[in-house]
Amino acid sequence: MTDLSPLCALGATAPRRVTHGALTLAETPDCGLASLALRTGTPPPSLPLPEPGRWHETDGLTAFWTGPGQWLVEMPGCAEVDAAAMLGERAPGASVTEQTDGWVLFEISSTGGAEPIERFLERAVNLDLTRFAPGHATRSTIEHLGTYVLRRAEDRLGIWGMRSAAESLWHALETIAGRQG
Amino acid sequence: MLIPHPLLGLRDAQEFTYLGDARLIERPTSGDEAELADYVFQRDNPAGLHRELWFHEQGDRSWLVVTRNTLTHEILGAELARDVSLARKEGTA
Repeated sequence: MTDLSPLCALGATAPRRVTHGALTLAETPDCGLASLALRTGTPPPSLPLPEPGRWHETDGLTAFWTGPGQWLVEMPGCAEVDAAAMLGERAPGASVTEQTDGWVLFEISSTGGAEPIERFLERAVNLDLTRFAPGHATRSTIEHLGTYVLRRAEDRLGIWGMRSAAESLWHALETIAGRQG
Repeated sequence: MLIPHPLLGLRDAQEFTYLGDARLIERPTSGDEAELADYVFQRDNPAGLHRELWFHEQGDRSWLVVTRNTLTHEILGAELARDVSLARKEGTA
């Protein structure tokens, strides 16, 4: 029988975690992800869906807007189960697709309040920080890599990137954090 | 350069890719070959206001119709191409 060893996106059996000054970067492999797109005439799902540029949490599930009529839904602890099927039950008639395996989630937290996170964002991504308070989520580029950036709180960020480029994205994020640490 | 996205506010132009004249939305349906040839090959090259299609490739992947001054690169407005196309269909229906 084939003996398979599950690995995290960065190639180790345990998720990577590093601290530079006030900022801690943590690979977060246990979060499931599924996309949700409403079709014309679909009944509204039993999950409040956020406006453009925002995220919204309900019952531990965080939905964030990705395009007109489209969202991604984070499902913590659901990386090893059928996340799409669970989401599909709450959104009958909508198009739901499993996304967990294509993405990697890095959580960034600050022990120094909002200021280190905002300095980090200024260097990482070309967004208007006056329009990126907690509750906002958007797609943009970090070092030419497409990412979803979620401002979870004043002192916390979530960054989803391509799993196939996990090491490149981690390198970019850790370099930025290291320079300001 | 910043583009005023109708849903997301001011966004950096590096998130977008440029397609060209917004009249590409107005594909002729009459079947007339000369008209189709004009649609495919003929473009105005105005010095001044120009309506053009931009794709928010590194953002929400929406198509926008952006009005730009080709002399100054000033961006005067942006609308969702979907809205422009739907309004046009309603106008001709």
